Amino acid sequence: MALELNKYYLKYFYDPVAESFEEGFWNAVKQRRLVFQRCKECGEWLHPPRPMCHKCRTFDLEWVESTGKGKIYSYCVFTREVHPMFRVPFEVVLVEMDDEKVRFISNMLDTDPDELYIGMPVEVEFVDINDEWALPWFRKAKKKK
Amino acid sequence: MTLKNKACIVGIGSTEFTRCSGRSEIHMAVDASLAACEDAGLDPEKIDGMVKFGTAGQVATEFTTEADVARCLNIPNLHYFAEAPWGGGACCATVMHAAMAVATGVAKYVLCFRSLKPASGTVRYGRPASIPIDAHWSYTMPFGFASPTSWVAMFTTRWMYETGATEEDLGTIALVCRENAVVNPRAIFYQRPMTMEDYFKSPMLCEPFRMHDTCLENDGAVAVIVTTPERARDLKQIPAHITGVAMATADDAYCMTAFYREKIGIPEMEWVGKDLFKMAEMTPKDVDVCQFYDAFTSLVPMQMEVLGFVEEGGGAAYVRGGDRIRPTGELPINTSGGMLSESYIHGMNMIAEAVRQIRGTAITQIPNVEVSMSTGGLGVPTSGLILTKG
Repeated sequence: MALELNKYYLKYFYDPVAESFEEGFWNAVKQRRLVFQRCKECGEWLHPPRPMCHKCRTFDLEWVESTGKGKIYSYCVFTREVHPMFRVPFEVVLVEMDDEKVRFISNMLDTDPDELYIGMPVEVEFVDINDEWALPWFRKAKKKK
Repeated sequence: MTLKNKACIVGIGSTEFTRCSGRSEIHMAVDASLAACEDAGLDPEKIDGMVKFGTAGQVATEFTTEADVARCLNIPNLHYFAEAPWGGGACCATVMHAAMAVATGVAKYVLCFRSLKPASGTVRYGRPASIPIDAHWSYTMPFGFASPTSWVAMFTTRWMYETGATEEDLGTIALVCRENAVVNPRAIFYQRPMTMEDYFKSPMLCEPFRMHDTCLENDGAVAVIVTTPERARDLKQIPAHITGVAMATADDAYCMTAFYREKIGIPEMEWVGKDLFKMAEMTPKDVDVCQFYDAFTSLVPMQMEVLGFVEEGGGAAYVRGGDRIRPTGELPINTSGGMLSESYIHGMNMIAEAVRQIRGTAITQIPNVEVSMSTGGLGVPTSGLILTKG
């Protein structure tokens, strides 16, 4: 059960706001690419982005394209509306990425709440919000052939 | 040098707790403050320090300033004023500010207060009045991850997965708090008992949380007055000595949505516990009664784990059935009904109850209390407090 992108969602949706050091993330999202921040010095992953690597305290950071694969680390299911923008029910998932040492908050596509479990393999799929924006959502990972 | 027993709480005051106060926040704040002065036997004009609350600033505006309160109480001037941020995380931190101020002689009598009007005012805490627009929220809001209930649900789901905690364990916390509230005339749920069946029937808000897993949202204010043990001798009440008090952040804090650090949960309270018990020169075994911050049921057993009352992962098993945490049990909790069933004043009502347990004046009074503890809000930078007779 996905978050419904109805007229209220579209009405209240605003362009994600980015500080200067976060623009790489959101500019990539606009291009339907999921990237995460990594320190060029020590290789530490940073999400949400920071202006400085907290491990080695350098400012020399880069944006690395994610493979988009991960597993559900935790989740919750909204069944009571808190704002007209978000019609219930829908799931919010915390995805631990397989290939980048970060976690990411997102929504699920084509999945019933009852199907969710911790450890469930998922992969990213961009969902168009409007002409400019799409958001990185997740769906059940396709089984390997 | 230590802050241990250098200050004490000598006055507690409260408004009534209601679903519709019909009064402004400042009105309730000065009502509770005046009640705290009367309780202490202190002329309000002697107050020369104040500590108020703040939140992260994104979901709420604080309406009551120290200047407003001083103006109403005709306090000629304040030598010390401060604000402890992070909403409910601040409650015991206000007392820490006050204790440091009076112990160093910066101020003589410090008033700490919280006035809230979520039930009938313009700011609610359980849901956003608007979708906040700044960079911090861009990683959560577009995905509908928009309420404190959901943020705590997210790390509670993981905790239940790791520890085997059940929905019935969560319900037990709600039931025990309710039992304590049912006999407390101040409580919103006074004379309104609840069964486990009622708990399971209450509507699911955000899985795994039902309505009865989440705290009240009501109007009211609570104030406490802090001074030195020497000055306390000239006042009316048995002083509740501040034997331990601490505040803490933890790694990779990202207010209430810190899901990126190695272990999601409430590490802030683990740090508070280390400082708190070190300052008090105690262990959790010494605590006779504890008011655990209970904005959500799961937070109680989770705190027991990180504070060392039980081993890691043992919180749910400890509270199972509820007898250990009832007033007759080995660790009575939330004796006034907590924020699940008495009142939601961001933990200040829990501090007032911790003081009553030291004085021996609580409605559900635990016999022979020597050590009374209370804790601050979770998922945010937080604080904790240990009170004794000194």
